Amino acid sequence: MPEPTLTWNSVAPATAEIYLAVAVCAILLVEAFAGDKRRGLADSLTLLALVLGALVTAVYGHVSAHTTLFHGLYVADELGYALKLAGFLIVAVTLIYSRAYLVQRDILRGEYNVLCLTALLGIFVLVSANSLITVYMGVELLALSVYALIAFDRESGIAAEAAMKYFVLSAIASGALLYGMSIIYGMTGTLDLDVIASRVSTGHASLGVIFGLVFIVVAVAFKLGAVPFHMWLPDVYHGAPTSVTLFISTVPQLAYFSLAFRLLTHGLSGVTAEWSQMLVPLAVLTLIVGNVVAIAQSNLKRMLAYSTIANVGFILLGFVAGTPAGYSAALYYTLVYILVVLGSFGVILLASRHGFEADSLDDYKGLYARDPLLAVIMMALMFSTAGVPPFIGFWAKLRIIQELWVTDHSALVIIAAAASVVGVFYYLRIVKLMYFDAPATEVPKPVRHSAARVALAVNAAAVLALGLVPGPLLDLCARILH
Amino acid sequence: MNPQVLLAIVLLPLAAAIIAGLLGNRIGRVASHSVAIGAVALACALSLHILWQIYWLGVPTFDAAVYTWLVSDSVSMQVGFLVDRLSALMMAVVTFVSLCVHVYTVGYMRDDPGYQRFFSYIALFTFSMLMLVMANNFMQLFFGWEAVGLVSYLLIGFWYTRPSAIAANLKAFLVNRVGDFGFLLGIAGVLYYTGSLHYSDAFSAAPHIAQQMLPLSATASAPALTLICICLFIGAMGKSAQVPLHVWLPDSMEGPTPISALIHAATMVTAGIFMVARMSPLFEYSDTALSFVLVIGATTAFFMGLLGIVNNDIKRVIAYSTLSQLGYMTVALGVSAYSAAMFHLMTHAFFKALLFLAAGSVIIGMHHEQDMRKMGGLAKYMPITAITSWIGALALIGTPFFSGFYSKDTIIEAVGASHRWGSGYAYFCVLGGVFVTALYTFRMLFLTFHGAERFRQVPHHDGEHRDAPGHGADGEHAMHSDPHESPAVVTLPLIALAIPSVVIGFMTVGTVLYGDYFGDSIRVLEKNAVMGELAREFHGPVAFALHGFTTPTFMLALAGAFAAWLFFLKRPQLADAAAHRFRGLRDLLIKKYYFDWFNEKILAPAALLLGRSLWHGGDQAVIDGALVDGTAATIGRAGRLIRRVQSGYLYSYAFWMIIGLAVLLGWFLEKSR
Amino acid sequence: MHGFALSVLVWLPIAAGVVVLALGDRRLVLARWIALGAAVVTLLLTLPLVAGFDTSTAAFQFIEHAAWIRRFDAYYALGLDGISLPLVVLTAFVTVPVVIAGWTVIQSRPAQYFAAFLIMEGLMIGVFSSLDALLFYFFWEAMLIPMFLIIGIWGGPRRVYATLKFFLYTFLGSVFMLVALIYMYVKSGHYSIAAFQELPLTLFEQRWIFLAFFAAFAVKVPMWPVHTWLPDAHVEAPTGGSVILAAIMLKMGGYGFLRFSLPITPDASRELDWLIIALSLIAIVYIGFVALVQQDMKKLIAYSSIAHMGFVTLGAFIAYDIVTNTGSLQGAAMGLDGAMVQMVSHGLVSGALFLCVGVMYDRLHSREISAYGGVINTMPRFAGFMVLFCLANSGLPGTSGFVGEFLVILASFKASFWYALLAGTTLVLGAAYTLWLVKRVIFGAVANDGVAALQDLNGREMLVLTMLALSVLALGLWPAPLLDIMRASIHHLVDQAVATKLPV
Repeated sequence: MPEPTLTWNSVAPATAEIYLAVAVCAILLVEAFAGDKRRGLADSLTLLALVLGALVTAVYGHVSAHTTLFHGLYVADELGYALKLAGFLIVAVTLIYSRAYLVQRDILRGEYNVLCLTALLGIFVLVSANSLITVYMGVELLALSVYALIAFDRESGIAAEAAMKYFVLSAIASGALLYGMSIIYGMTGTLDLDVIASRVSTGHASLGVIFGLVFIVVAVAFKLGAVPFHMWLPDVYHGAPTSVTLFISTVPQLAYFSLAFRLLTHGLSGVTAEWSQMLVPLAVLTLIVGNVVAIAQSNLKRMLAYSTIANVGFILLGFVAGTPAGYSAALYYTLVYILVVLGSFGVILLASRHGFEADSLDDYKGLYARDPLLAVIMMALMFSTAGVPPFIGFWAKLRIIQELWVTDHSALVIIAAAASVVGVFYYLRIVKLMYFDAPATEVPKPVRHSAARVALAVNAAAVLALGLVPGPLLDLCARILH
Repeated sequence: MNPQVLLAIVLLPLAAAIIAGLLGNRIGRVASHSVAIGAVALACALSLHILWQIYWLGVPTFDAAVYTWLVSDSVSMQVGFLVDRLSALMMAVVTFVSLCVHVYTVGYMRDDPGYQRFFSYIALFTFSMLMLVMANNFMQLFFGWEAVGLVSYLLIGFWYTRPSAIAANLKAFLVNRVGDFGFLLGIAGVLYYTGSLHYSDAFSAAPHIAQQMLPLSATASAPALTLICICLFIGAMGKSAQVPLHVWLPDSMEGPTPISALIHAATMVTAGIFMVARMSPLFEYSDTALSFVLVIGATTAFFMGLLGIVNNDIKRVIAYSTLSQLGYMTVALGVSAYSAAMFHLMTHAFFKALLFLAAGSVIIGMHHEQDMRKMGGLAKYMPITAITSWIGALALIGTPFFSGFYSKDTIIEAVGASHRWGSGYAYFCVLGGVFVTALYTFRMLFLTFHGAERFRQVPHHDGEHRDAPGHGADGEHAMHSDPHESPAVVTLPLIALAIPSVVIGFMTVGTVLYGDYFGDSIRVLEKNAVMGELAREFHGPVAFALHGFTTPTFMLALAGAFAAWLFFLKRPQLADAAAHRFRGLRDLLIKKYYFDWFNEKILAPAALLLGRSLWHGGDQAVIDGALVDGTAATIGRAGRLIRRVQSGYLYSYAFWMIIGLAVLLGWFLEKSR
Repeated sequence: MHGFALSVLVWLPIAAGVVVLALGDRRLVLARWIALGAAVVTLLLTLPLVAGFDTSTAAFQFIEHAAWIRRFDAYYALGLDGISLPLVVLTAFVTVPVVIAGWTVIQSRPAQYFAAFLIMEGLMIGVFSSLDALLFYFFWEAMLIPMFLIIGIWGGPRRVYATLKFFLYTFLGSVFMLVALIYMYVKSGHYSIAAFQELPLTLFEQRWIFLAFFAAFAVKVPMWPVHTWLPDAHVEAPTGGSVILAAIMLKMGGYGFLRFSLPITPDASRELDWLIIALSLIAIVYIGFVALVQQDMKKLIAYSSIAHMGFVTLGAFIAYDIVTNTGSLQGAAMGLDGAMVQMVSHGLVSGALFLCVGVMYDRLHSREISAYGGVINTMPRFAGFMVLFCLANSGLPGTSGFVGEFLVILASFKASFWYALLAGTTLVLGAAYTLWLVKRVIFGAVANDGVAALQDLNGREMLVLTMLALSVLALGLWPAPLLDIMRASIHHLVDQAVATKLPV
């Protein structure tokens, strides 16, 4: 086909990535020359960059229709557009929450921000990937940045250990992914997801495709943290500095959703029956293990890790439904989940200070007496995750169950319902600690970080508001997946 | 007849009750009792006026609703009055006795701190009793039924600091509730078959119901009307203290004496009798039910009387006598001699109230001593009380020309004339009862008013049965002075009651019993009309009384009186000897046939045991322990177990991933082959 | 002019609650008065509804209908019929005494205490007036949060166990209801309750939906054997919490059976009515015996609540047996009438009893029966009220407690003699445990110095108890108005319940 001349219009849809790449370099330079003199300059710059990025993307990056660029390596559509905007926003929020935490531990350095941005870049690539190669690029770019982030606190031993584990395990996962991709390539003779989609025929799937599919599913499951590929998740969440945990528990979820979406529901849509069948046992295991083991945790970060796993179970169920409505439910669930977890780890960050990680459950005894605002916010978030109205979490679970009913997965409905009841217990336990128990005496009063607190309050308010009026977000998720 | 008047009769006592109850402490004692007495006096006057209208002026029966209580499922439940000859008579009796008791109370409760409260209660009782009597439908009947039970509950426990009193009132309420339980089922049955709670509908439907069978299971079924009637009668057994639901009445003597007279002798306990008479159109169609009534009544009449012989508490003796007399009335009902039952109810109301109030007067005179063994020879000190007591006693044992004679003798003859199943047994019981009645009655008279004056020797100890106004525990009551006659407020009611006790029977037997007084307010089928037979042999009260001297009944009464004189006045040691000789029988009687023992030692503990085992075993062990907390524990354990897999070792993580991968692969390659 | 009447009833208390919360304990006096004001105003605002209610129709009235979630076709739809109106009024009525009763008693975080109850009031009114299943569930679940906090923060020593048990128990039940609701949405494309009632369902579907509803409502009522959360919750909850719990929350279970189970799954109800009836009778008898042996006053009243709610479920489900037994519908409506009256009455009586226990607890800080005795000597006024409410609790004619039981027993006789017989045992059992309580607590000689030192009711307590006493008597002496309000809706419900949804 004739090579189109590289004009601005032809790359405009990729504004976000281009801008971000440039911004990263800029910040690196600034940090290199002014970093030591002007502490926190890079940090502020990053925030600025993110806001700008959001604006730029909003203005130039919008596409109305599904358009592919760069010889079909890259796709721009409403999903990508929305997720990228969300990405900018979420990273900004994570940085706002983390700032004080990083300052106290003296690990607030330009590299940190840069790594966050590169991770974000990887996410963007993944979100817009339309070819197996692009997908793999995105995955690795994200992963590499995350390894570094986890190990960012040089003093912390467990952080290093966590990074190590994550590195090795995701190496295995990447291997699986790559292997699966190569087989698919071998079977279809193309890397382009659109073409693959057309070549992998519905109905009688060839043995080879299935073979490859299994490996890809495993890789996706690993990234999402589905049982039994979840083992890295608690250790990493626990080991990493809380600010990093906050980061990796939120933004990458966008990427992982798109990973599943682009690969499975788009590229391999022909074998939807097969992969959704594979996801069923994974989802069930994930729901059960996540909820049940969370009860046995005494460390809040670990508990939230398992709660993440439990939520992943629901997201998987959305894919199991195997319908656009199901995927939109999964997307909605992902966004809701990110919104809530953002707040939860935000609370941990604000409750902690140097020498006091505030990550064991007992640290939250009587939090209400010490810091009512944090307590109220945490309560709202916990009830939301538990799926109790009027908070947004309720709607997420409702959507998933709805789609399961539509697709007649009655057994899964019951399991999901029962699992969520088990889940309620450990969320309530947090509320109990904060409200019903007497405060532990020696805990110092948290210092005020007004900006972060405001952000957190807004975050919680959103959880409530979107719970009272869930319509808009629901419609959005439905629309961008048309 | 004017409904406003009827409303006034009912509402006056209620108003008095509310005023004395809520404002009592503000307006003071005199105001309180004036209000109450005034209201009841007025109600009494109006009731007599109604009676006069109904009987002498022949004003037609009044049956209309006052207001609609509720309408549910097109069944309209109303509060309304049915005033016919039956209820008019009852109203007159109730209000008259109530009035006497009100007056009497002024003296009896003189120095009781709960004075106003007491008046409020008895006024409230009058209201409730009138609601019961004047009801024209089952809902209201049940209302009155329970309301009188409530007031009785409050009054038995009037001296609430006494353990015995509050035990007695709880017992009374519960036993009555057992009766009401049956009663309510009966009412439900009536509604089931007639779709209405109005008497008139139920009565007109009776012949039809008699044909019905009530399905009890897929196969079994019971004759509907019999079932309904027995259920209703169970209610009557509770209120009118028939065996085995009689146990509460003797204990109810814990209440102040005026109450014993008003509620537990004259009026409330007769509600059951009245109810059955009222329901005669239903009962008439079920011989089975009537036989049941007959046997229960006969048993009560004789065996409860026996208990009066061994008791030493003057009030309890009268209480047992009440039980036995109620038995007589029930027997009368059982042989379809409803008018006789009602007649005995009326005469009994007068002379039994009289006896109780006299006993109360004695108790005052004796400074709140109730044990007859510590009395004797009181006639010298309390002449009026003694004379009136004698009158009451003579009436009670059925001395010709006294009111009691006419009613009781009629009942006995009616039983003799009846051919209903069980009437043979009943006849034996009622005859035996006559002897027993005379025996315990005269024993009481002799021990109390005659013979040696024992109150001097025996030091008075703080007895269980001290009927002391004021909160009982005020220490020793040694005799500071001789017994003395009670004040006029006490003696006047005695006299007021003594007169009817003598003459009411003589005056009214002709009309009420052998005339057609009750007319159509009581229905008796041809085949059951024993009273009709008796009426044919009735030639006026005088002839009846004269003939009475010749009957075996009279002989039995004389025998009883003689025995009493011999054992308790002439040769007391004989009594002890006899008591020793028939030790077993005596113990049986003193133990009251072990009814209380059964209730207290078997029934109550069993209920509590059941409750405890259900609670600890069912709720706590199984449901909570095993199921609820058990599930939670299991999940927690599972959590800790699975957690072990999260060993923290890299190789195990990798291992699990490989396993997962392998399983998926194996599964799907297997599938797609 | 009734345009937004219901919305006001729902949101006014909630808004007031938020204000009170914002004022906090520093501005306590103001907060208190705002709380009381809001409660009273809400109560007054129900009066025009009662006055303007058209008793001739079973249709919903004062309807509000606004789009809420378009893509689910879920609406913010409120309305009242003869079944929900009494319960809404009851809710508004009971909240007032609760606020007054907590006036000075609550020492820690009082502002939040009042706020919690106001928010609850709004949510509860929302539950009763929702015409949209999703909205209903929204309120239904949201209400758990304030109650969870009320028991957990202001509760007794074992409050944590109790409140967790309460939350999980009820949440478990509700989740299955939600699943059923979603299923019906998927089938019908709507969330409106009316649509569900129209929705044709096979017997198989109905059976499962019925059981899902049963899970939710039986726990709330609560029915044996899923009742064990109630005694714990009651014992640990603060007075106000117990009052709301007993007076309103339990009614939601009964309301659910009437609003959802009977009309939406009539055939399953017909098929499974034996289950409900059996459990109801067990509740009446079994629980009656259990109540007999309680040592803790609140536990005793809690168990008696379970027994009394047994009449609600019994009355609601005897219709089918009446039809099979007598071949006519005559009596079905009476059972439902009885159930409704019993709910309202129990709301008043149990609420009052818990307030009475609260009065004693505030003075002696014990709920043990053995810690009392002869209270009448030192608190004659209080004793009067206590005895009255206890008699009402044991179903004495002339009090509201009698009406419901009377109607249900009359109706159940039409279904089966044995139902009536077993239900009737409450006359004895109810009287036994209630009056034995009275005997041990109220009557007798002064038991100990604690009792000797008791002060009689203060003005506030007098006011509260008088309010309730008058309503208990009024409802007992003249229940006709209440039944007139319900009649049309009840008859409509009977028609729905006996109509079949199966293809014939």
